[in-house]
Amino acid sequence: MILADRLAYASRWRRRPLAEKSLLSAGLLALALALPPVPGGALVLGTATALALAAGTPASAWIRLMAAPAAFVASGSLALLAEMDAAGLHLAADHGRQAGLVALRALAAIAALLLLAATTPTPDLIQGLRRLGVPAELTELALSIYRFIFVLQDTAAAMHAGQAARLGTDGWRRRVRSAGMLAASLLPRALDRAHRQETGLAARCFDGSLRTLSPLRPASPAGLIRVAVLLALLAGAGTWA
Amino acid sequence: MGVILEAQGLHYAYPGGGEALAGLDLTVRRGRRLAILGANGAGKTTLLLHLNGTLAPARGHVLLDGAAAGYGRAGRAAWRRRVGLVLQAPDDQLFAASVAEDVSFGPLNLGLSEAEVRRRVGEALAALDIADLAERPPHMLSFGQKKRVAIAGAVAMRPDILLLDEPSAGLDPQGTAHLLAALDHLRGDGATLAFTTHDVDLAWTWADDVALFTAGRVVRQGDAETVLADRDALTATRLRPPFLLELGQKARSCGLLRADEPLPRRSADGLALLDRAENRNHSQI
Repeated sequence: MILADRLAYASRWRRRPLAEKSLLSAGLLALALALPPVPGGALVLGTATALALAAGTPASAWIRLMAAPAAFVASGSLALLAEMDAAGLHLAADHGRQAGLVALRALAAIAALLLLAATTPTPDLIQGLRRLGVPAELTELALSIYRFIFVLQDTAAAMHAGQAARLGTDGWRRRVRSAGMLAASLLPRALDRAHRQETGLAARCFDGSLRTLSPLRPASPAGLIRVAVLLALLAGAGTWA
Repeated sequence: MGVILEAQGLHYAYPGGGEALAGLDLTVRRGRRLAILGANGAGKTTLLLHLNGTLAPARGHVLLDGAAAGYGRAGRAAWRRRVGLVLQAPDDQLFAASVAEDVSFGPLNLGLSEAEVRRRVGEALAALDIADLAERPPHMLSFGQKKRVAIAGAVAMRPDILLLDEPSAGLDPQGTAHLLAALDHLRGDGATLAFTTHDVDLAWTWADDVALFTAGRVVRQGDAETVLADRDALTATRLRPPFLLELGQKARSCGLLRADEPLPRRSADGLALLDRAENRNHSQI
């Protein structure tokens, strides 16, 4: 299961209204982009991390979640860390200050988004998009893909275990060959499963639309105000400093 | 007991394959539990897909309350409102982000109000004893839980007849017991149930009527005791008699069970017979 999704389902904030979490995340993202990286970016990064931990995200899982995008940011910042001229490749004249600021701003923005991802299951986000007026065709497709990912993941895991049990993953040549065969047989299986799912949906009077009732979690004015106050405080602190 | 669903002379062949149904006749009686027994690959799923209108026969008819069911868009929709179907693999049926959302899909397609849909979802989840799973996503459920969610999805539509394809397949004994208890609950509400299985012991324990299905035809249909005691018909279907039925017949033949007493249907009944034998031995000593 995808790490962010697993964390979101286990999060203490899972049942908090989506509007509050979205406002918080979008607000933090805006502050990360608008405020100077020091201290604004650092404040946003620290706040998002503290809130994620408060929502029940284990610190180790939060670090793992941040690791991949952080590595991407780090590789991108390398270009700012070094300069190249007639004398050759050497450390930037600002001793990497610019690279550090860019990386801090990027990490703050990432943390703001991951706070939402680690506290809100993907289907809730898709439902939110539907309420915002995104066409049902797109949201239904996204939900179907989301569901299918896990079904295919199970199928692929079972096939991989079957290959491994017959020594199909011993040595890289066999691994590559087995992976190719797995990928090739996954497509027809996916199509077959899709066909059977169509039969299952038809049995429940499917008329071309995948309408379902989602739980009601209206945002409270008090909750929205709390989020707005927090964002205002952060904006004030970031600007004043 | 009136007939609610009937198949008459159904013929069907898959493209490039042999004849899956070859002149099949079947009756489903109102308020009864019918087990359609057949060996693996006999075509039981194909039969169920005919009984809910998903597949149209090459020849023959399916009658719902005595009237031929239609295969047009409207005809099929009306048919599926009355005949629910639960597939063997629950992942083929579950598509939504959470259990409650998935169960709400069918009732919403019936055009019910949101309040009524929420009520039915709550009732179906309670009937299948999975109310605590309402907000779980399907990929975080065990196989047995998925099965019960799939059944709840059909139950929430309150069909007159519920068709279940191999309901106990892949379940451990406890999972099967849970499922049967939930289905018993439905039967208490007057639902008609028909299920396919190759498990003769399950059929004997749980079904009122039994149909033996082989080579695309029903070779014998009637009440469970009559059909499952027919050794020739069972052999022709590549099945064997249920253990408890054989035990009961043996108990009758040796005078341990009177002819007017019912044959043991559940394990506890069989064990009670053994207790009776033990007591008789003690009294003879």
